[in-house]
Amino acid sequence: MQLRWKFVQRWEGLLALLLAVIVLYNAVSTPGYLTVNNWVNLFQLSIEKIIVALIMTFIIINAEIDLSVASVMGFSACMAGFLYAGGMPMEGALGVALLAGVAAGLFNSFWIGVVGLPSLVVTLSGLIGYRGLAYVLLEDRSIGSFPDWFNRLGQQPWLGPFPFAMLVFFVLLVFAIIILQYSGFGRYVFVIGNNQAVARYSGVRVQRTKMILFVVSSTLAALAGLLYAARLGAVRGDMANGFELDIITMVLLGGVSIFGGTGSLWGVLLSVLIILNLRNGMGLANFSGHVQTGVIGALLILSVLVPNLAATVRARWSQRRLRSRPAAEPGR
Amino acid sequence: MADAPPVFEIQHVSKRFDATQALEDVSLTLHPGEVHALIGENGAGKSTLIKIMTGVHPPDTGTLLIDGTPRRIGNSQEAQSLGVAAIYQEPMVFPDLNVAENIFISHRNRGLLVHWGQLYREAEAILAQLDVHLDVRMPARGLTLAAQQAVEIAKAISLHVRVLIMDEPTASLSAHEVDQLFRIIESLRRQGVAILFIGHRMEEVFQIADRITVLRDGRLISSRLRASAAELPRQREQVIREMVGREVGDFFAKSAVPRGPLLLAVRDFGKTGVFSGVHFEIHQGEVLGFAGLIGARRTDVGLALFGVEPADQGTVELAGNRVRIHSPEQAVRLGIAYVTEDRRGLGLTLPMSIATNITLPTLRRYLSTLGLVRRREEQQTAEEYRGRLMIRTPSVDLEVGKLSGGNQQKVMLSKWLNAQPRLLILDEPTRGIDVRAKAEVHHIVSDLAAQGLAILLISSDLPEVLAMSDRVLVMREGRQMGIFSRSEATQERVMTAAMGQHDPISQAVQR
Repeated sequence: MQLRWKFVQRWEGLLALLLAVIVLYNAVSTPGYLTVNNWVNLFQLSIEKIIVALIMTFIIINAEIDLSVASVMGFSACMAGFLYAGGMPMEGALGVALLAGVAAGLFNSFWIGVVGLPSLVVTLSGLIGYRGLAYVLLEDRSIGSFPDWFNRLGQQPWLGPFPFAMLVFFVLLVFAIIILQYSGFGRYVFVIGNNQAVARYSGVRVQRTKMILFVVSSTLAALAGLLYAARLGAVRGDMANGFELDIITMVLLGGVSIFGGTGSLWGVLLSVLIILNLRNGMGLANFSGHVQTGVIGALLILSVLVPNLAATVRARWSQRRLRSRPAAEPGR
Repeated sequence: MADAPPVFEIQHVSKRFDATQALEDVSLTLHPGEVHALIGENGAGKSTLIKIMTGVHPPDTGTLLIDGTPRRIGNSQEAQSLGVAAIYQEPMVFPDLNVAENIFISHRNRGLLVHWGQLYREAEAILAQLDVHLDVRMPARGLTLAAQQAVEIAKAISLHVRVLIMDEPTASLSAHEVDQLFRIIESLRRQGVAILFIGHRMEEVFQIADRITVLRDGRLISSRLRASAAELPRQREQVIREMVGREVGDFFAKSAVPRGPLLLAVRDFGKTGVFSGVHFEIHQGEVLGFAGLIGARRTDVGLALFGVEPADQGTVELAGNRVRIHSPEQAVRLGIAYVTEDRRGLGLTLPMSIATNITLPTLRRYLSTLGLVRRREEQQTAEEYRGRLMIRTPSVDLEVGKLSGGNQQKVMLSKWLNAQPRLLILDEPTRGIDVRAKAEVHHIVSDLAAQGLAILLISSDLPEVLAMSDRVLVMREGRQMGIFSRSEATQERVMTAAMGQHDPISQAVQR
């Protein structure tokens, strides 16, 4: 009893429970739901966002935010398309596009880490600026007819049933978990998120840690943008528009505190699975995309509300238990 | 006045948090015009009692009576409307609002528009009543801690306070400011306010209190009127025994250590607009005390040496080498450690474990070649310090925030001792911790000096500085007023220098 409650009282426990309910419902109501192919499909439809959610988890735990990720996705994809259309071989175009992502990250981290501006402001300008650059490159053109190997990369299974992007995700997930939960760098990320001043007064290189995070964030966003381009088979200035909010939702719903300092990749993974299955299930039950978004919004509010509520309820209970105890019982 | 009917009574109150019985059958009576001192070690239950009185926690059992009527106090607003208010050692003023706005911040029924003229007049009247001279139009940001406290007291008065709880109000004040505060308390007493005064410094408690109550481990041990002057020393010993539950011998113990080689030479050290002309040397095995009033900028000297706020004037020589210290990271590498006065804000990450906190400055030593944290070694280190500094905790995996102040202080010390510094800067190392932990910290400091560390001890606790230091440097408003050897340093002389009076001897010693 005790154990089970502890499990539910943690947000991750609640998420797992919720996921189980959704999966069970979907499995019963939809034949063929519990097949590998369906799940790969589910993942594949949001895989780029999920990849970026990994690094967003680090950034939010570090008590920062990166709003520019979706624009960097669009920017790097457009850069690749632009160069390819201009006659550069696809391999070269991809390389440059990735470097453009790194450059965007360096630019963000210069303002955040060296100058010391708030990441919210810097990456908000990034959100506008990098999107603008994407439009400057392609205007309202759409560029497609990429080489076959590139389209196959995005659209066909690569290893077993898994497409390339999913393999990238699995590898990154393993790395991310090890780095965040077990490495010294991950420890710094948590400490800084908890209390930046304490980290600084302990000789931790706070700014450097932040700068690394923002460079990695833009680099992964660029990579995700290119994977997205491969999946769509074409690029446009507005691609990945608004993805940053979906990504941040995945992270927050996973129990990562927007104030930093707490959270885990397991929670984020669970929240990703919930969002995917909820959308899938509701889609199958003929709810419109807007209703789905609304439900996810409500879940997000619950993700903040429930842990607080649980704490209050727990406090009440322990008090009631005490009151019902005989008063003469000795303490300790 | 003590014969007047009680204004606030606590009857048989008990409170339990999980496994801890925070309070057990505590009864206390507050009379108008009486200063009632409540003393006890950290963890004795003082904070819990305050929280129950101000409606933060409901008691498990027992009754609160106001004017003889049982009352439920559900939250701090209700407490306020019943005339119960509390002020804490760290005043809670809004830095961007001015003094008058801060005083009337809790008044919600003053109408839609602010009548500024009336607001200022009323604020001035309240401050005058307290005999405090402050510009009510001045923003609270620039105020000293003492002035901020006066603003908080004025705030309580504006709410017609009848029971004022003061939780270690003197912890951050200099001696002069304590005197001012006591004058305010006197005037409150004359106005018939019942005061519950929580204090750690015995001299102060016996100076101000009419009645002294001792709490220990959540139980009320004794409650007595203050004795006559002749009986006072004996009563004091008795009270201290009751607090700790055992005999306390020497509070302070800096053993004499032969002076080692010169470690640090600081010349004409300064930071524009903050401090200047700081000039001293520390040898290994030596404790150099930094005395002064609040605002003397002693902490700023410490922060400059630690690279948090680097200095821009003068030179620093560490073990014979000229160094420019520009970041804490570099300071740590040079063997300088700074134990901050702000434990909760700058010293420890409270939600994280004891072990995590201890290894933070030295985490690199605990990383494998792949950059992963070697948890077992980390645990071993934490266990080692737990034993060495007697950190009282069931486990080193416990959140630091759950420890008492004294034990948090020891975790902070562990964290920096583990960095194996040559120079240890201690900023108010015993502020807000109980008598026993204080004595333990003093022993640790003394041992460290004996092991050859050079220690820079910044403390506003004058007896502490005098007893612990080989030499005492006195600062006032960013300037060095003099350095006194142990034999020269008397309370009077140090105080005189700190307050800016000229002292022929200090002038002679300065250069």
